[in-house]
Amino acid sequence: MYIEKRKLSQQEIKRISTVINIFLILIFIVLLFLFWNVQILKNQYYTDLATSNIRKEIEIKAPRGLILDRKRRRLSENKINFNLFVTREYSRNMNRTIKTAAALTRMEPDGIRKAIDKYKGYPKSYSIPVRKDLPLGKVIYIESRSDEFPEFEINIEPARAYPYKEMASHILGYISELTPGELVRKKGYKLGDLIGKSGIEKVYESSLRGTGGVRTVVKDNLGKVREILDEENPTIGGSVILTIDLELQKYIEELFAGHKGTAGVVDLRTGGILAMVSKPNFNPEFFSGPLETEEWLALINDPDKPLHNKFLQGLYLPGSVFKVVMALAALEEKAADTSTISTCFGRVKIYDRYFHCWKRTGHGNMNIYNALKESCNVFFYRLGKKLDIDVIAKYAQMLGLGRETKLDLPNEKKGLFPTKEWKLRELNQKWFPGETISVAIGGGMMYVTPAQVLEMISTVALRGRKPRFHLMEQIEKDGKVVETYKPAFENVPIAGENFEIVIEGLYRVVNDGGTGRAAKIDGLDICGKTGTQLILSLENPNYKQLVKQKRFTPHSWFASFAPRNKPEIAMVIFIENGGDAGAIAAPIARKIYKRIFE
Amino acid sequence: MKEFFKFFDKFTFLILLMLALIGIVLIYSAAHTSEQSNFTKQLLWLLVAVTAFFVVFKVKTEAIFNLSFVFYVILVVVLVLQIGAGRIISGTKSWIKMGFFYIQVSEFIKIPLALYLAKTLTKFSIIDVRGFIRLMIILGLPFVLIAMQPDMGTAFMLTSFMIFAVILKKIRPVIIIFTLVIITAGALGTWHYVLKPYQQDRIISFLNPEKYKKSTGYQIIQSKIAVGSGGLAGKGYLNGTQSQYKFLPTRHTDFIVSVLGEEFGFLGISFLFLLFFILFYRQFNLKTESDEEFYYVYLFNGLILFQFLVNILMSIGFFPVMGVPLPFVSYGGSSLLAFFIGEAIIFKIKLNTFLNEF
Repeated sequence: MYIEKRKLSQQEIKRISTVINIFLILIFIVLLFLFWNVQILKNQYYTDLATSNIRKEIEIKAPRGLILDRKRRRLSENKINFNLFVTREYSRNMNRTIKTAAALTRMEPDGIRKAIDKYKGYPKSYSIPVRKDLPLGKVIYIESRSDEFPEFEINIEPARAYPYKEMASHILGYISELTPGELVRKKGYKLGDLIGKSGIEKVYESSLRGTGGVRTVVKDNLGKVREILDEENPTIGGSVILTIDLELQKYIEELFAGHKGTAGVVDLRTGGILAMVSKPNFNPEFFSGPLETEEWLALINDPDKPLHNKFLQGLYLPGSVFKVVMALAALEEKAADTSTISTCFGRVKIYDRYFHCWKRTGHGNMNIYNALKESCNVFFYRLGKKLDIDVIAKYAQMLGLGRETKLDLPNEKKGLFPTKEWKLRELNQKWFPGETISVAIGGGMMYVTPAQVLEMISTVALRGRKPRFHLMEQIEKDGKVVETYKPAFENVPIAGENFEIVIEGLYRVVNDGGTGRAAKIDGLDICGKTGTQLILSLENPNYKQLVKQKRFTPHSWFASFAPRNKPEIAMVIFIENGGDAGAIAAPIARKIYKRIFE
Repeated sequence: MKEFFKFFDKFTFLILLMLALIGIVLIYSAAHTSEQSNFTKQLLWLLVAVTAFFVVFKVKTEAIFNLSFVFYVILVVVLVLQIGAGRIISGTKSWIKMGFFYIQVSEFIKIPLALYLAKTLTKFSIIDVRGFIRLMIILGLPFVLIAMQPDMGTAFMLTSFMIFAVILKKIRPVIIIFTLVIITAGALGTWHYVLKPYQQDRIISFLNPEKYKKSTGYQIIQSKIAVGSGGLAGKGYLNGTQSQYKFLPTRHTDFIVSVLGEEFGFLGISFLFLLFFILFYRQFNLKTESDEEFYYVYLFNGLILFQFLVNILMSIGFFPVMGVPLPFVSYGGSSLLAFFIGEAIIFKIKLNTFLNEF
């Protein structure tokens, strides 16, 4: 058996086994060399790669600083939004899902159906946002019944809360995710970060924004955190304390119910804004979180422009309020004094054209005090004939008109006060003297913001010390004050006695049966000037008819300050299409003074 | 019985057991966080394999060789049937369910194939064209069937039989030239018509893993990181970040050696190599009584060596990712059982030689 099966010679077997043995030894030497190379020589390289595989740095977002009022009440704070999503794929019965969602959100089932139908083209596994900011009770209800409602999902999102909703929205502004454009411009931001987009949130972004922390963790390949190696805590942003008085702000907003317009109240001792209202306004919480395109379009296309801050961005004709500037310019330029008498017959012919007083029957003999008190147009038309437009512009600008107030809010409008040079440059036209007559009563090609009017009346109240307006009082970080606003005033070169003459006129407006008598408070010397800015010309043949329509009703101004001798408060009230200023704007001012001084 | 214990190669058998136990220890490390049962399953399979190992000793060597053709035919038929109606597991139709366990037929066909090829090789003193065609048919049939499953890795392992046939036998040069032409043409044809895009990617990514970092090169890179970061002594048992944190793919099967390299370092790898070296050295240099036994020993050990090399080189990026387990070590009952049975025949040949010499 052994013999017949063995054909291979012993040498042949020897040859084969020698070949294989040499081969074996070579293989194992090469293998050992290869592993030596990878494990020993390149050990550091692969160790670093292994470490970077598992070591991950996770950003911990810093809480944003608070915005507080002067008494440190929270106007803007942080919260967490619970948003409700529906995934159709997991719904066993779509009708039941919609019914449940309606019951949970207190929305109409049809509204929810519509919201879901918008995503018809999306895959069934897509999570559809149904409702933002679900109350905590409902969140717990859904989360505890996740087996019963697999189609509902709650997503947690850090957000900004404004406890008083619409109140002071134009001051506070809003935050939202930064745009790709901002991502390029701003340093230290990542896509998805929230950034102040308007108001205090924007201006003090760098203070409000905290410093993010970093958590170094060990993560496995499935993204699960296995271990926390190191944690660098985030630091909360600084708190911005405003000059705003929450109660006053709230009170004025209530007074503005049903009105469109703006109001500003300033503390004359510091220039700090105590309240600033612009109506209509908006709820800043709306922006915090992902925006729905339709809601956004609805907001920016609203004809009432709720995002527009009328106090700083509304450009209007000042109307009769401008007579204050005119009176000061005339006194300073010696074009008039206390003995100047001008007779009003209801109209006056200047440069071959009739200019009308608002009182058709005329005011009779007027001195400068009574002209301010009665707001007599004819008196000021005649001053307009005596003064050059460039001279008027000098005083107007000195007092702040057509100039930014530099209040610490973004996107302030500069407005316009015309000069000869301006008209030639911009319109390529010569200035006509007749235009100066319109300017004299606050008309013509002039655009001012209510903030500028407030600055003007404040400068008059302080007899030539123009206050620098501000909203920020203090910035605090970790309980320490980092920044405090120092009040600043600018001196306007107008003689003190001329201010006293004008102030006497303004005193009579309120306290001597003048146009602002509705603002009178016994025991408080309020000085002010009304302005009823006509939308239609008095010469319009259909004036009486058209003026009844709301959109042709005049705008109402009332700029005032008090007390007369030691001024503390100045304010401007502007009601769009309010009608007679003495009947609309002055009583509102009275209520505000009463509130402040009682 | 007394003679059996005296002449049975206890030392080499101990090496086999050690390899399997190292495997079980590593499988525990690789899979204890997710599939606990892998570890106990493999332990059970080892019991089955050792039992089967000794059952083989009851069968006469002659009978084993004589029955090889029958088993070969049966398994080829099973493979054919599987193409039509196999249970589909991880994309391949290579498993059939037997009770609680899944059996991978392609692992078992290696045994009758090696036996039958060995028998056939004794029929001629030099491989001429007729002999070559005959070998190619015997080998080609299971190769094509396994490749069609598709399990290119296991099919590719069968080519080791051809390499060793050439080492063992004289061959006409014209056949070598002819074969090289056929292989080149076949490789090109396979590339374009047989390989699925993911299989092509595997081969390309092997050549340039950095470029395919996110997709197919990922496995190679993660394996290299595991092995390389192990250093001299390793990160310690159950402490390898690459395997414990699941960066290492198929770590209890194809990349088991990467787990060893990471947790036990170069020393652990060297120990594994030492075990395999002793195994190969002892099993290649044994005395045989007949040519067919001699050929079988070389063919079957050659297969183990080939599969060992492919698997090891794959773990450090010197070979494309093939889906080939490390013999005796990787998770997989069929593979373990088949290799133990195949080895049992070699042990029996060795034992018989000793017994007959006395």
